[in-house]
Amino acid sequence: MIESKHVTKTFELEKSKIPVLKDVNFSANEDEFVCLVGPSGCGKSTLLRIIAGLEHADSGEVLFHGQPQTSPTPKITMIFQLFGLLPWKTALENVEVALEILDIKKEARVEIARSHLRMVGLEGFENAYPHDLSGGMKQRVGIARALALQPEVLLMDEPFSSLDELTAKTLRSLVLDIRGKSSLATNTFIMVSHNVEEAVFMADRVIVMSPRPGQIVGDVKVNIPRPRLRYLRDPVHFKYVDEVVEILEKSK
Amino acid sequence: MNCHLIPGASPLRYPARILRDILKSPLERRLQKKPRREQGKLAHVVRVGRQALAFTAGLLAIVAAYWLVMNFVENPEISSLPYYTFRTLLRITITLGISVAWGVPFGILASTNKTASVILVPSIDLLQSIPILGYFPVIVLFFISLFHGGEFGIELSAILLLFTSMAWAIFFGVVGAVKGIPVNIIEAAQSFGVTGFKYVRHVILPAIVPALISGSTLAWCDGWFFMIAAEYVVYLGTTYSVPGLGSYLAKAAYVYNDLNLSVVILVLIAAIVFYLNSLTWHRLMERAATGTYKPVARIGLSGLGKLGVIRPRWLHLGDRIHRPKSLILASKWVKRYTRLEKAVALAISLTAAFLIIYYIAGQIPSEVGFHEAFADPEFLNLPVYTVLTLGRLTVAYVISLGIALGMGVLAAEHKKFAAVFYPIYDIGQAVPILALFPIFFVYLSRIFGGRFGLEITAIVVLVLDMIWYMFLNVVGAVKSIPSEIKEVGRLLGFKGLKRITHIVIPAILPAIVTGSILSWGTGWNTIIFAEYMPYEMELFGGQPLSLPGLGSYLDKTGYLPPPKGNTVRLLFLLGEIAVIVLAMEGLVWRKLLRRFEKYRVEV
Repeated sequence: MIESKHVTKTFELEKSKIPVLKDVNFSANEDEFVCLVGPSGCGKSTLLRIIAGLEHADSGEVLFHGQPQTSPTPKITMIFQLFGLLPWKTALENVEVALEILDIKKEARVEIARSHLRMVGLEGFENAYPHDLSGGMKQRVGIARALALQPEVLLMDEPFSSLDELTAKTLRSLVLDIRGKSSLATNTFIMVSHNVEEAVFMADRVIVMSPRPGQIVGDVKVNIPRPRLRYLRDPVHFKYVDEVVEILEKSK
Repeated sequence: MNCHLIPGASPLRYPARILRDILKSPLERRLQKKPRREQGKLAHVVRVGRQALAFTAGLLAIVAAYWLVMNFVENPEISSLPYYTFRTLLRITITLGISVAWGVPFGILASTNKTASVILVPSIDLLQSIPILGYFPVIVLFFISLFHGGEFGIELSAILLLFTSMAWAIFFGVVGAVKGIPVNIIEAAQSFGVTGFKYVRHVILPAIVPALISGSTLAWCDGWFFMIAAEYVVYLGTTYSVPGLGSYLAKAAYVYNDLNLSVVILVLIAAIVFYLNSLTWHRLMERAATGTYKPVARIGLSGLGKLGVIRPRWLHLGDRIHRPKSLILASKWVKRYTRLEKAVALAISLTAAFLIIYYIAGQIPSEVGFHEAFADPEFLNLPVYTVLTLGRLTVAYVISLGIALGMGVLAAEHKKFAAVFYPIYDIGQAVPILALFPIFFVYLSRIFGGRFGLEITAIVVLVLDMIWYMFLNVVGAVKSIPSEIKEVGRLLGFKGLKRITHIVIPAILPAIVTGSILSWGTGWNTIIFAEYMPYEMELFGGQPLSLPGLGSYLDKTGYLPPPKGNTVRLLFLLGEIAVIVLAMEGLVWRKLLRRFEKYRVEV
């Protein structure tokens, strides 16, 4: 579904060059939940933005259904670390305005937006501004907005790292629950995280990146049955966590 | 453009080079620092050499310009030009020193002591909203009577007049900086037992250094802007002047009627301001940006524009670092006064105004009764005048808003436009707008005729004055739209006009309101000078040319001999302006700010 082929990226700023990504190869298949983990500054967010079409690789390419993916498309949407909500729009408008890109009539847009807000448990908060919502609720709006577009691929850029641990836990489960629904059009999930436990809890595969310039140094398949909540304190969970941490330590 | 309405918070007067630095993304800045550190000794020598070369070249250019002017311009006083320059420089420097000496202790007092804050902050806020003209009667009368018209008395009154336009920026800069000290630093100081003088020495003083430098920059520019008004005072028909560039420029226009000479002096002033700014303030600002706790540097929010929109770029790291909570709290706290503070300030200022009127009315034997003050037949036109002046300000405001929006968004988003607009801004702020006025008028009146020419001149001067506040606020706000919001816009496919209406405009609305407050503030100050043209007395049928309006009426009341000139009426008119300014602030801007507060992206 998504393939990253020899992706290399260097930031160039007034004479100094900072290599961020170096020959990154990986793929995320249909029905897969992939998590990219790595130390901060390793370029994992940049990689996610290249997949989204927000940035361009200097060399190499990202393929989506075998075609080069170079510009934003509603088929690939994103959830942001700081939610990325427009503060001047209500929760409902934030979701609704996203649907404008799909050429749907206003009434239908509002209906879709409502149902998605309901799906993330925000019924009754349609007319609240982001300003008045808690961090967890804001991210719920972010999730509703991303899913309302019925994308095939959902990108998540450290979606829970600006929330407190309890809220983050709830939202992780929410995302996994939504993913389990058969009606969902989205089948590929790519998440960036620096939280190894979170990655092991959520992903089918954990891809480990080295410090800058980011390279892929490990690809761990997580064989824990779902729903995973009951395995959170299980030795098998920690086995995978240890494995990922070990790769991270080695790549330092 | 007078900048005494903005405290250290707004970097309106920051030179473009530093502006660019402030607005640069944090990543860029972080990355930039490294190579600088890695530079070898040779590179350092080259840099210092280049600076020395630029310094010498600039100095030589100015000396050459003086030599040319003094040899080729004919005027009986031309040989005194260097002396006048020296006097003006000295005057502004001394006033800056006095302003700092006054602003630091009072600023610290007002920001650390609650009682002092309740009294000082609102009263000084009120004082700073009075145009320099409003201080004429009190200051000039006092010093001239004290020294019986001697030159020393006039000099002192000139310095004090300058002080009334320079001191506020420093005071509010200090207040903002002290109030902006992060709570964790205050708590750390307390837990280590750093109190009293030690606290001032180790916590407060380092915190106010950047604000002091930016405040001094603002004050310095204010000084140049207002020196013409301060050095050449026409009060109730009598001229009081002290030797200086400002009074020479005024004399060139009013006494010698020599337009070429005034253009030449104007260009010289602009060159000196530009040269000295790049020599001193630019460098100091750069240093200030790297020292002490940065968070404090530009959080100071006070004065009429209590919402400094241009916040340090590094506070908007987008998705990397969080803005410390304490900063948000501090800035929110500084942002508004309580009702009590306002009431106390109002009571104090009313009492003060009453005492001043009472004192002055007692000083002038010819103006015994109050009824004489309002016996002037023109007084009945006051409502019409008010509407006309408000109309002029509105027209100029709308024009400058439109231009500044376009320029600001382009400059913020495209390097090519920035390369053109920043230097324009840099030069635009070095030119004292007041001095441009006669020059514009002569050219425009040739095209449009006297009355209409003056009307257009007034608008043009107002636009030139108001536009930079808007421009800077727009640039700063567009630059600080968090990257996530921009990315969302791109992901949602907003392009062209849709991007502007859905993302850019809503994101900068708070900044537009702040820019509007500042623009209107400076506009009020400028229109007082822009509606009245005493200088064309001979060119246009021996009549002073004026536009019907509040500003020109104020001028006549202030400048002309009695019965037209009248101190009581002058104070009344100033009071009217103060009421209008405060009413607009309370009824329009504050409401808008509160509404748009929600639009601020919380990072």
